[in-house]
Amino acid sequence: MKGYSALAGRYLKQQRKRSVLTVIGIILSVALISAIGTMAMSIKDNLYKEAVYDNGSYHFGYAETDSKLYDELTNNVLVDKVGAMKQSATTQVQDSVTLTLKEVNKDALELAPLHLAAGRAPQSEGEIMLEEWILPYLPGEPELGGTTTLNGPDGQPRTYTVSGLLNNSRSSQLNFSSSVIALRDDVGASAGELTLLVTLRPGVDISDHMQQFSKLAEDTFMANLMVLSYMGESPNDNFNQVMAVIFGTLIGLVVLSTAAVIYNIFHISVLERIRQFGLLRTLGATPSQIRGLVFREASVLAAIGIPLGLLCGWGVLWLIITLMVEAGFRVLSLEQFELSWRPWVLIGSVGVGLLSVYLAAWLPARKAASVSPVDAVRGAGSIVRESYRRFRLPSPLQAFGVGGNMAAKNIRRNRSKFRITSFSVIISVTLFIVFHYFTQEMFTLTSSSNGEDRIAFSVTRSYQVESEDRQAEDFLTEAQIEAIKAVPGVHGVYGRYGSFGLEALVPKKMVNQEFLDISQMQYAEMTDGGVAYSRVYTSLLKYDNARLKEAASYLVDGTADPEKLKAMNGVLLVQAVKPEDPDTGKKTILDLTSYQVGDKLLLDLSGGAEGDGAAAASEVTVGGILSEAPFGYLYEANSLRVMAPIDVYDGLVGGNEATRPIDLVRDGIDIAMEDGADSGPAREALRNLTNETKGAYLVDTAASQKEQRQFNLQMKIFIYGFLVVIGLIGSLNIVNTVQTNLLLRRREFGLLQAVGMTLGQLKRMATLEGVWFGLLGAFWGLVLGIGISYLLFVQLTNLQGMAFRFPWGGSLICCAAAFAVGLFSVQGPLRRLAKTNLIDSLREEN
Amino acid sequence: MNSIIEIDKLSKTYGKDSTKVEALREVGFDVAQGEFVAIVGSSGSGKSTLLHMLGGLDHPTSGTVRIDGENLYALKERERAVFRRRKIGFIFQSFNLIPVLNVEENIGLPLLLDHRQPDKEYVRDLIRTLGLEERRKHLPSELSGGQQQRVAIGRALAYRPAIVLADEPTGNLDSANSREVMELLKLAVRQYHQTVVVISHDMNIAAEADRVLRMQDGRLVSDTRGGNRE
Repeated sequence: MKGYSALAGRYLKQQRKRSVLTVIGIILSVALISAIGTMAMSIKDNLYKEAVYDNGSYHFGYAETDSKLYDELTNNVLVDKVGAMKQSATTQVQDSVTLTLKEVNKDALELAPLHLAAGRAPQSEGEIMLEEWILPYLPGEPELGGTTTLNGPDGQPRTYTVSGLLNNSRSSQLNFSSSVIALRDDVGASAGELTLLVTLRPGVDISDHMQQFSKLAEDTFMANLMVLSYMGESPNDNFNQVMAVIFGTLIGLVVLSTAAVIYNIFHISVLERIRQFGLLRTLGATPSQIRGLVFREASVLAAIGIPLGLLCGWGVLWLIITLMVEAGFRVLSLEQFELSWRPWVLIGSVGVGLLSVYLAAWLPARKAASVSPVDAVRGAGSIVRESYRRFRLPSPLQAFGVGGNMAAKNIRRNRSKFRITSFSVIISVTLFIVFHYFTQEMFTLTSSSNGEDRIAFSVTRSYQVESEDRQAEDFLTEAQIEAIKAVPGVHGVYGRYGSFGLEALVPKKMVNQEFLDISQMQYAEMTDGGVAYSRVYTSLLKYDNARLKEAASYLVDGTADPEKLKAMNGVLLVQAVKPEDPDTGKKTILDLTSYQVGDKLLLDLSGGAEGDGAAAASEVTVGGILSEAPFGYLYEANSLRVMAPIDVYDGLVGGNEATRPIDLVRDGIDIAMEDGADSGPAREALRNLTNETKGAYLVDTAASQKEQRQFNLQMKIFIYGFLVVIGLIGSLNIVNTVQTNLLLRRREFGLLQAVGMTLGQLKRMATLEGVWFGLLGAFWGLVLGIGISYLLFVQLTNLQGMAFRFPWGGSLICCAAAFAVGLFSVQGPLRRLAKTNLIDSLREEN
Repeated sequence: MNSIIEIDKLSKTYGKDSTKVEALREVGFDVAQGEFVAIVGSSGSGKSTLLHMLGGLDHPTSGTVRIDGENLYALKERERAVFRRRKIGFIFQSFNLIPVLNVEENIGLPLLLDHRQPDKEYVRDLIRTLGLEERRKHLPSELSGGQQQRVAIGRALAYRPAIVLADEPTGNLDSANSREVMELLKLAVRQYHQTVVVISHDMNIAAEADRVLRMQDGRLVSDTRGGNRE
């Protein structure tokens, strides 16, 4: 032995059990931090990538501007790239498809949201790229790499080479119009209307300079808000501040819980050995030497625990995500699924781990250093005087006989041990609840996913067919639809129908005043039979059984069963809307009206012929209320959406004079794919279908649908993975805390057995203690969880108005889990206790 | 006479009012270098408190303790710890060895605490004298009670302290081991010219000392020199 400090190592080695428990605590804490850090960064990166995919990677831009501004921007030292785009000549191909030539410079190719499906971007002025579906319509029907003739910028025909194909867009296919992207390096200097996309140089603070650039052309300035937000460069200071507060709170919570876990175990470990430290004091060790010993122990444990913690955190993350991907979310291809490994997450985890360890060692070290040597030499046993408290309230545990009585006394016996143990359990529960709330709301805020996202193909009646030929009968037969449904990978086939715009007569008292305040909407009003009605815009949609089936998963209340709806002349209602406050631009999700299932809904299909009164309106029953629309936009800004089953719709709309039979029939189908399924077989089947059906036209958006869906799925995996990691680490933390408490009390248990406590009584006592900590953790965890979630909610509403939706289900399950973990975690140590020799436990030196 | 311990009007009171206990009441005496002193008295007579005061472990309510000319309680906490390490050797009834250190390391510990390497020759000589040569690398848990107490004696002597304080050193030992331990303590006085103060309620132990101080109710009631030492 070189010096006294080697004692630290000896202690650790000899007290292997305690050391292992402490190291496990450190591992769990560091794992938690690194996993959360990595997860959070991955989510942010995923959102950022999605925003760039949707909107392009430019920071801000100008619409409808000219070359003067282009020059000014390119000469600005802060500016990195300026993408310029100009719309020029259009070409009508095959009399039906309108193609608009868009001349762009190289920077624009990079900054605009253009997504190549095949080939490459144009590299010279004679090259173009366009959506894949256009190829057969082009003169000469070229393949990729082939040539075609389109109107050039001067309006004269010109030959272009197709160098690249873009992902198909649904709207362009349905509208029969699209863009042709051609390279022109000097487009920025050309005359005419330009759209400019700008990025600033790396290192330049974007949000600080935004104002300056918006002043250059205030009317046409547009910031790429989503992308900037995820870069932390939102021009809206409020947003950045809210993000700082939210992430500050979450990180604070994690650090606190980490420090608590390590402190807990360390504290107990030092307390149990405090006599040893007292002994050293009698031999002339100074308090600072004792503190040094404790810190040395802490350093050794940290050196073992922190690297293992990092490995564990990432290991668990990797494992969970792999399992989740394997289990259900078969993401298209795993290569696209990326976790973001950031060095600063690693450094941060190590830093927080070290900080927690030393913070946790500080108090116990002080306690060890200040122990009185007299107490140490005064004989055997623990010399920590436990301040025994009598409590005024009888504990419910006392109902469980001697074991319960002892448990009640043990739990409160040592105030600091009690506090640390319960804090550790409480923080685990709180952490889970708060993260559950936060991830749920973040998902609502960032994701706009419904059944529409799954639609990869549509088959519609072609506009090329003369309208006289169109029959007033459903397009495509049931048999044809069934055949498509049976193709592997197809999730569902939904009929496409027209919709009907109308006004609902809503009793004024059922219109949400808060909505009116925010949106500043003023609906026309009328009074009939003494009841005041607001005429609220409503779109009426026809839902076939396949769509209704999909709608069922959005039900808040009621039913989406076609038969039941038909029987009650019922409809589905989406009354949740997302109006924008015209003053602040802030959007809020809330209910426009307060309809309940079973209420009668009055629909005026007369086309706004006021004065007809409520009697003239058609009456339907609200059969089900949906949280958001299953297809189309999730929320309207200020109108209701009503989904009617086929018979109900036909009954309502069919009676209207303006309705032609053609308006009621199926116009085509939308085909949704399973996640990750190969769209090949479906495409093949649909091509055959369109070939054999006269006037059928296939809209193919499988590629971009797949990519879009990928983002949403990744978000889901991240969020559930996140919760699983937190839940797992939280549970392990509870297990470790409760077990540490028990294992370090072997001598006491031996003593109790020696005075005649049976093993059964002992077990009951320990079990009740575990259960009590579980219950306590669940209760206070819930209270704290709600509190902190509410604080986060207050911040989040600054971004987007919403109601406080506390995740009761998940939280209560979490509480039950804490209780169960408390109960089961004592069983292991108890079994071991039963096997140990009584004399050995009594002899055990503390 | 060269006094190594000087105690003057030493009092110690625990508690207040109704729970007040006067453990020591104005105790005073001197001990000369190389003396073997026994302090005897019944349980609760204040002898342990007196020993703790001598060792600088507890604070007196009033009075002074001088060891080797140094006023112990005028020192700061840290200085007192260093003083204890260098000038005072402790032997306890329950041995109080550091369980994670072997015999040799336990003996050398006071020097290590002082960032010094033990004098190997001296330590080996000590171990030989204590009869622990075969057990040098054993942990305390691998030793008998008598052997453990011998290690404790070795530890107390390792720094060649000014005084050795022994609190019921034979209390946990059988008679053969007790005799052996007492012989070793006497040997320390003879061979290393140590000053030894032993607390005991065993009159046989007291009979081995040069001088016997008797405590009763916190007071020194008798001071007998020249016991039965041969």
